[in-house]
Amino acid sequence: MRIRAALVVTGVALIGFATAGALTDPDVDPVGVLLFMAGALIGHDVLWMAAVLVTGALITRLVPIRWRAVTTAATIVAAAVTVVAFPLVLGYGRPPGNPSALPLPYGRNLLLILSLIVITAVLSRLLRRRYSPPPGESRIM
Amino acid sequence: MVRHPEPPVSALRSHRLTSLLGIALGVALGICFLTGLVSHFLQHPPAGITWPSRPAGFYRFTQGLHVITGLASVPLLGAKLWSVYPRLFQWPPIRSVAHAAERVSVAVLVAAALFQVVGGILNVSRWYAPMPFFFTAAHYWVGWLAVGALLVHIGVQLPIVRAALARPEPEPGPDGLTRRGLLGAVATAAGLITVVTAGQTVRPLSGLALLAPRRPDIGPQGLPVNNTAENAGVRTTALDPSYRLTITGPQRQVNLDLTALNALDQHTADLPIACVEGWSASASWSGVRLRDLVTLVGADPDRSTVVVESLEAAGRYRTSTVATPHVRDPLTLVALRLNGETLHPDHGYPARLIAPNRPGVQQTKWLGSITVREES
Repeated sequence: MRIRAALVVTGVALIGFATAGALTDPDVDPVGVLLFMAGALIGHDVLWMAAVLVTGALITRLVPIRWRAVTTAATIVAAAVTVVAFPLVLGYGRPPGNPSALPLPYGRNLLLILSLIVITAVLSRLLRRRYSPPPGESRIM
Repeated sequence: MVRHPEPPVSALRSHRLTSLLGIALGVALGICFLTGLVSHFLQHPPAGITWPSRPAGFYRFTQGLHVITGLASVPLLGAKLWSVYPRLFQWPPIRSVAHAAERVSVAVLVAAALFQVVGGILNVSRWYAPMPFFFTAAHYWVGWLAVGALLVHIGVQLPIVRAALARPEPEPGPDGLTRRGLLGAVATAAGLITVVTAGQTVRPLSGLALLAPRRPDIGPQGLPVNNTAENAGVRTTALDPSYRLTITGPQRQVNLDLTALNALDQHTADLPIACVEGWSASASWSGVRLRDLVTLVGADPDRSTVVVESLEAAGRYRTSTVATPHVRDPLTLVALRLNGETLHPDHGYPARLIAPNRPGVQQTKWLGSITVREES
């Protein structure tokens, strides 16, 4: 109990320190920070999670049972890689006159990686020999 | 076949799964926080504290780790938030003052974590437009915010985590992904992201770095560049034949042209450029030791700090301070050449600073003046 109390008290103190520091740092624009935070929160909790749940439901409905686990796993990996790659593929950060920044064909490379994920998933399922289809159905989101 | 009623709730979610993901994410966040502090305090040293100049590649290691861990935490954060998503809609939404405070702290943690990870991805991709604030300062303070909220969260959830880890849970039905399978997928995602990005600082992986914002061998003279001479507005002044490097010391001032600089003792140092964005690249730099220039104007390099100024007219990084450990270090050079060739304008021609264990933004390019202050 004492450890928990110490954690909570320290945590609250650090939240206070961060807030005070951000508000007194002339380089921090609190309105801009709050706007971006709100955008990230809504973007994740509403848009992203809606897409995740719909994708999960589609996998449950459309994918045959024996392919479901590997499809879900491959989708998780592909989604994570795509999130990291997305700004690079869009390339808005590529500065004119500096060919050393963002020098690669990121769209092509992302497609290559996504293809490898699909191939690996298919092979891993096909190479697993023993399988007995279970009765019933459970849902994976 | 049994038809289950909606709403969609996965049988995969469990306290144990959330606890395992939370521990992994907490470790990742801790690594990011500590390495981030190193980067911040190297650039903004607190009064009275100086950083050692060795090991020469220390900053390269910590900042590379910072970005690698931050990118690898993308699937961890995604899975962790997915695992607790139904709790966002718990009813009643608030049961007591304590419950309200706890929910606020979770909201702060989620907002801060998303802010750090999404902002970090945008920053290493150099896409600043969606961020209506100065990234570096905001990333620093929100880092403290995230760690504070994380400590509160751990304090609140500790008994649940302990209980969840003490007893194993049965896996859900065998017709979908298992919890073990989910953790495997998240770990695979983190590993894959690392493999295709870490080559921007881990040289042996550079061939696999399909999604790295930089390649250590791509750029003028085989080295990446962050700010070009054109962008810094120094092209004309840097290439002006009447260029002089002004060195001001406590006893005298000297103005050296390139011929004079080349006539001084020349030394070579193999040092990395280690960018705050997480990429790094080693090169062989040669030129004059900073400590020799300090001696030239009558100061003792073992007791001096130096302020270097770029030819840039403006800009956040046009000057930097070199603390005594770096002034003293024989590896710290005013470099005139890179891998044996005269510096490319984008690498800081006519002269640039290069020092061990120092962020790239402080390796000031296009040096115009050096001011030496001797401590009493």
